[in-house]
Amino acid sequence: MKKLLVPILILLLIFTSVSFGKTKLIFTVHWSDYQVEGVKDEKGNLVFKGLKQYVEEYMKTHPDVEIEIRSVAFDELLKKIIIDHTAGLPSDIYVLYSLWGVELVRSGILDEPSADVQNAVRLLFVKPAVEGATIDGKIWGVPIEVDNYALVYNKKLLASAGFKKPPRTWSELVSMAAKLTKRNPDGSVAYYGFAFLAGWDSAVVHPYLALLYSNSGEFLTKDFKECLLDRKEAIEALDAELELFRKGGTDTSASVWNFPAGKVAMMIMAPWYETSLKIGFKDKYAETVGVAPIPYLKKPATCGYTWFIGVDSASKNKKQAWDFIKWMTIQTMPNGATRMGELMAKNIGAIPPRRSDLDKFPDELNDLYTATFVKELIHTIQEPNVAQGQEIKTILMREIVEAWNGRKTAEQALKDAKKKIDEILKENY
Amino acid sequence: MNRNVKNLLWETFRYSIIIFGAFWMILPFFWLFSASLMTPQELLAFPPKFLPAEPQWKNYIEVVKKIPILMYYKNSLIVAISVTLSVLLTSSLAGYSFAKLKFPGREAFFRFVLSTMMFPVFIFLIPVYYLMKLFGWLNNYLSLITPFMVSGYGIFLMRQFILTIPNELLDSARIDGANELKIYLKIIIPLLKPALATLAILTFIGQWNSFLWPLIVTSSSQHLMTLPVGISRLSLAFSTTETQHLILTALVLQVIPTVALFLFLQRYYIKGFVLSGFGEV
Amino acid sequence: MKKSLENRIGAGYSFLAPAIIFYSIFFLFPVIFSLLVSFKKWNMLIPFTKAPFIGWKNFLDLLKDELFLMSLRNTLLYALLTVSITLTISLFYAIMINKAKFSVFWRFIYFAPVVTPQVAIATIWGYLYNPNNGLLNAILRFFGFKGLNWLTDPSTALFSIILTAIWAGIGGSMLIFTASLKNIPQEYYDAAKIDGATGFKEFWYITLPLLKPTLLFLSATGLIGAWQVFDLPYMLGRNAPAKSVMTVSWYTYETAFQYLRMGRASAGAFLLFVVIFVITLIVLWIFRKGGIKGYE
Repeated sequence: MKKLLVPILILLLIFTSVSFGKTKLIFTVHWSDYQVEGVKDEKGNLVFKGLKQYVEEYMKTHPDVEIEIRSVAFDELLKKIIIDHTAGLPSDIYVLYSLWGVELVRSGILDEPSADVQNAVRLLFVKPAVEGATIDGKIWGVPIEVDNYALVYNKKLLASAGFKKPPRTWSELVSMAAKLTKRNPDGSVAYYGFAFLAGWDSAVVHPYLALLYSNSGEFLTKDFKECLLDRKEAIEALDAELELFRKGGTDTSASVWNFPAGKVAMMIMAPWYETSLKIGFKDKYAETVGVAPIPYLKKPATCGYTWFIGVDSASKNKKQAWDFIKWMTIQTMPNGATRMGELMAKNIGAIPPRRSDLDKFPDELNDLYTATFVKELIHTIQEPNVAQGQEIKTILMREIVEAWNGRKTAEQALKDAKKKIDEILKENY
Repeated sequence: MNRNVKNLLWETFRYSIIIFGAFWMILPFFWLFSASLMTPQELLAFPPKFLPAEPQWKNYIEVVKKIPILMYYKNSLIVAISVTLSVLLTSSLAGYSFAKLKFPGREAFFRFVLSTMMFPVFIFLIPVYYLMKLFGWLNNYLSLITPFMVSGYGIFLMRQFILTIPNELLDSARIDGANELKIYLKIIIPLLKPALATLAILTFIGQWNSFLWPLIVTSSSQHLMTLPVGISRLSLAFSTTETQHLILTALVLQVIPTVALFLFLQRYYIKGFVLSGFGEV
Repeated sequence: MKKSLENRIGAGYSFLAPAIIFYSIFFLFPVIFSLLVSFKKWNMLIPFTKAPFIGWKNFLDLLKDELFLMSLRNTLLYALLTVSITLTISLFYAIMINKAKFSVFWRFIYFAPVVTPQVAIATIWGYLYNPNNGLLNAILRFFGFKGLNWLTDPSTALFSIILTAIWAGIGGSMLIFTASLKNIPQEYYDAAKIDGATGFKEFWYITLPLLKPTLLFLSATGLIGAWQVFDLPYMLGRNAPAKSVMTVSWYTYETAFQYLRMGRASAGAFLLFVVIFVITLIVLWIFRKGGIKGYE
């Protein structure tokens, strides 16, 4: 017995010194203080957990790991990732918009997840989210948020014009919008039947893609070598948007931001606008706001985009990083939901992309607003994870806006877009 | 009588022009203060409301409770004051040099200083960030202060003002045996009061409201965050709580010190120059 | 005499020492680095040393891009109109307010746009320019005119942005004019009054010539700043066709951080520098031609 004592002591010494070296993980996100620190009531009690609480829980059960959360406003996140990288100070874990992920993957910045993580994603997450995390055929992270678009309408304005139901087909939308637009005698518009989301690339392009997919069209070839916007289906889809302008249902001065003030009857919107609607309509919210699938051309369809969580290939702690990610997104809590799903649904107010999470948060996901977005996930087609995605979308946005303003026909606008986009595709594929 | 009527017309014209312009100048500023006291619902109204139904003073209490505003104030003050003092010093020294001292290469170097203002900000972001990392200044006020310590704009401004100071003043001091440093301290600086006050206001405000660089440099060191960066963290894409309206309230808190500084420095906008006593002009 | 001359040369250099050190570190290194980048294709994610060298391609691509050329045109219009009109109005108001009662109060109100945060500017001007409910169109309609699509119509969008820019710029220029006006010795005006010169004559023969150094400063820095303008057009011009409102800084910023084409963006920055440099030389030359020696 005594002879074993020394080797045992030595072994103990080795084990304790190993666990003294803490692994530090840096986790960069684009969430606000509330979403990170948690939401507290007047007395300071925690009402909704923030990312910090989950991280603290993890650190308690994994004392050798220290996780530092850094948050940067969404508009600046990509810039921050780039600048950190060039200075040689990358984070370990990122939350990434999928198109940014494409650039990172092509530059070798992301660490390829192990086979078990990739399989888990394929099996356990909804289709558009899986596509969103797939770049060049492989899965590069775990999806944490999936967004799509639906028709949001003002029930009262519709009722005042005699409409009891929202439009189901696009042509119904066009005729309803025309009837719902009220003009003043001096030429100004009192309120609009419809308003398009505008101001940045996704705002204009995503709803257009929804129509394109609804018209059985395609944006790009599967190998990303050619842009297909000169096809009949694409032109018809843009013309369908232009019908709204031609028939007087909207114009370029209409703005979705005036919907909460009751100045717009219908719009195509994403899940993140819920709170503004609740604030704008206050106690009249439930009786005013309605959500329905986007009126379709040939078949129901909507467009989606995804955020996923990934690990930097230059990280010195890849294994610990993936362990934390698995704990947040793949492993479930006793109630069957994932922790990331809970954070997304309860605090951030987004749709968790894991199938088993979708029925675990009825108050948030099955409510008046979000329920339709969740139901439409089966019709959601993820935007293509193409290289230079933002540049391509900006080109398309600008051409669509030209068409909206009547300066180009749908055909000409899409032809011009295709020409410029093909050049970029050639450069990359 | 004719002269008095002319005067009266002129004064009426003067004040009506001033008041007409003042309305347009103050509109957004006024709206900001008004909006900071509105409820979130009032802020979503369209057309925008200009007066709240009931001023929500509690917005201010909420902001102070929800974000560490004193820490942000402290950081912003340290950075803005350091940069302003440094710019005032380096600009007046260099401005004097360019305006009144002759030495080889003076004009060429002045043109070089001008050209430093001609590059867009974004090309400095990556290299300077890299330098900050190299020097080990990233988690330090130094990374917020040093890239701004010298300003071509300030140097140019000081030079132009110092040019208007008559050479005779300086020459008579030189004949009396004063060295350049003494001339700078005893003659130039006192005569530059309005110019220094102006440069101080503009530099301070520029630093106080600066967002992009502090954001990039402090995201890993929350204890260094300045006011604009801190306030941006109130912004939410989704939200289950209503805090968007607090941003306007926080912005008012950001604006107040700049207003205070402006009003405080107005005391230096006095007639800076009395010639009698300096002999021949 | 000789000693004091040497004294002055020594002082000349030593007073510039802080600036020299500063610019060596914070200016020369980034600019030389960017110049190198402009000859490469670099997305900022692969290591700089691995980025391929592509010679003049970035510069040629820019000069072939219609959007870049339109940005140059827009920025030129913006710079000329904004600076000239802002200076004129600022000088006018500086003189008006200088002799008015409550001048500090008025000066503060006119300075307010300089301290007003972007979100307030965007909200109010967005409202003023709104085609349906906006105040400007309401005024137009009151006088029987049709409303304009201020910010979305390509023929008016840039001018709307310029109008807002003038509004935003008056306060700062006015402050500098005020400081310079205070620097003009009262004796000059008293002497002029004895000779019978008042009002406009006083302004033209005394005030204006003595403001030349300030005018040079404001014109040069105004143009340099205007050529680099980003915030205002980006904020107000989102819904106008890009060709009619985009400025060079907006173009290069988008190219760098949205498209990750840092090489092309750096090339754009250098082209912009060349333009600004030439224009500044022209402004300096104009003032030298029309000014008193020493007030260059």
